[in-house]
Amino acid sequence: MSRSYGRYALLRAAQAVIVILLAYVGTFLVISVLPGDPITNMLRDPQNGLTDDEIQQVVAHYGLDKPVVIQLILSLGRFVTGDLGFSLQSNLPVSQLLGDALPSTLTLAGTALLLSVAIAVVIAYGVQYLPSRWARGVLRSVPSLFLSVPNFVVGLILIEIFAFRLHAFTTIDPDSAAATLFAALTLAIPVSAPLAEVLIANLDHESRQEYALVARSRGLSQARLFARHLVKPSMLPAVAMIALIVGELLGGAVITETIFGRDGLGTVVQKAVTSQDVPVLQAVVSLAAVVFVTVNLLADLVSPLLDPRLDATSRRKATRERDATSERKLEVPA
Amino acid sequence: MTSLTGLVAPTERIRAAGRSAVRVPPTVAIAAVVIVIVLLWSLVPWLFTSYDPSVGDTAEKLTAPSGAHWFGTDHLGRDVFARVVYGTASSVTSALVAVSIGLVVGSVIGLASGFLRGAVDVVLGRVVDVLLAIPSFLLAVVIVSSLGFQTINAAIATGVSAIAIFARLMRAEVLRARGSVFVEASYLQGGNRLHALLGHVLPNTYKSVVALAVLQFGTSILVIASLAFLGYGDPPPASDWGLLVASGKSYATAPWLIYAPALVIVITVLSVNRISTWLRRTQ
Repeated sequence: MSRSYGRYALLRAAQAVIVILLAYVGTFLVISVLPGDPITNMLRDPQNGLTDDEIQQVVAHYGLDKPVVIQLILSLGRFVTGDLGFSLQSNLPVSQLLGDALPSTLTLAGTALLLSVAIAVVIAYGVQYLPSRWARGVLRSVPSLFLSVPNFVVGLILIEIFAFRLHAFTTIDPDSAAATLFAALTLAIPVSAPLAEVLIANLDHESRQEYALVARSRGLSQARLFARHLVKPSMLPAVAMIALIVGELLGGAVITETIFGRDGLGTVVQKAVTSQDVPVLQAVVSLAAVVFVTVNLLADLVSPLLDPRLDATSRRKATRERDATSERKLEVPA
Repeated sequence: MTSLTGLVAPTERIRAAGRSAVRVPPTVAIAAVVIVIVLLWSLVPWLFTSYDPSVGDTAEKLTAPSGAHWFGTDHLGRDVFARVVYGTASSVTSALVAVSIGLVVGSVIGLASGFLRGAVDVVLGRVVDVLLAIPSFLLAVVIVSSLGFQTINAAIATGVSAIAIFARLMRAEVLRARGSVFVEASYLQGGNRLHALLGHVLPNTYKSVVALAVLQFGTSILVIASLAFLGYGDPPPASDWGLLVASGKSYATAPWLIYAPALVIVITVLSVNRISTWLRRTQ
């Protein structure tokens, strides 16, 4: 595209890299500067039976005897070159641990994303077109109910009803298609709420536009008008929320995977927290930041291409406004 | 004629605004009652139950909800309703701590960014970007794991993970207010920057920030319950709501151990959200 778009893209990419590096530094400081030194605590645990000399060796190996700033620079250098270090718990390379857990979480999060979009579309369609005013009102309050139910409660209720009573799936085989579907549903429900809110608002706006009225006057049925004309423009603003949604999915995976007994990134985090496995925690958080920032960057780079109304000059402003509104919409149920 | 309507309309509008501000929808009234009850549970739990939350009668273990035990009893015969009521203090107080941290730190960052602009805005903007880049629940988990597994630390972690949202809203509100005519007028009358900030910008931002704080109070209850559920809060015999659900899930034959505290969480958060929505709409 134009030169100004290239400049914009480059600037945004540079900004993204800076944010990722800063996120790494921030996490490092949170983990290693705050009170409680997990590594030496673990080494001094009498169960490990290490002598003082051996402890000194390990401490020197990890560079823990050096000042924090030097440790940080060394650690950042390893991160930039793709070296995530070794797990304190299992001694396996962190990259291997994450690589093993990633497919499970991607399946879960991907399914949850699709489900949340489907749920949001159904809710928005119902709120707009259900014949009964009462039913519309009930459906209208569903998103705020979804935002008020803790993830773990949704999961436990689904397990209680569908696994224990109806035997639709078993928790013994958490990777089966049925179990994955219910785990994804658990993750999708809180995520679908803000999506539905945005869709409801946009659908209301779009259906009052002239093109929609013209389509209606040509005799298009409600369902076809909705499917062929209204869904796409109503979904476009939601694309901007995708990064926040991915973040929600990653955060929610910790709880969902624990409840359903899946071996994914969330379980890795949960185990790392329990055993104070610093390199693993550092890696997962950095990975999450990389994912978030990259998705956000892509959304920013793609949305002007999707929506021609955003020209080069208004792009920065639009991005900023989009950030502000999407943020509000994700956090605040209307 | 025109001048007359011009004169009448505003007063009418003001009166109408005054009326609508006083009129409270029934759902908001119910929500307010729920919040008051929950706050009373946290302040004076002994007024609401005669049972001791930590002592049970093992002869009566795992009994279903009844007139004597509204929420049934747990595996040690303890009254679940009493455990929920006594667990409120820690669940609600920690949510308040979390909101206070997010509100104060976030507002200061947003205020400084929006009001001073320039280099301060650039630096603080990146700090906020970083806080936003890490999924808030993951951030809370990492912070609590670094600080140690206690409810107060879970509250601090939840608060820190909310800083960015407050900072963003505050910055946007400050930018909006400082571009407005009354701030310009204040400068023209010789007011200095501090006066404009405290006298004009701040009072015009607080309403939306308060609405966010109320909403964030509900979110914090959920996040802290989730952290407690994972075992990152105070250990038993503490009875934080999330912890109650977590310990209840081992008894498949006694589903009330899960449903009762879960229902309390959902109703509380729904009520908080309802009030937040109402506050935002009546601005």
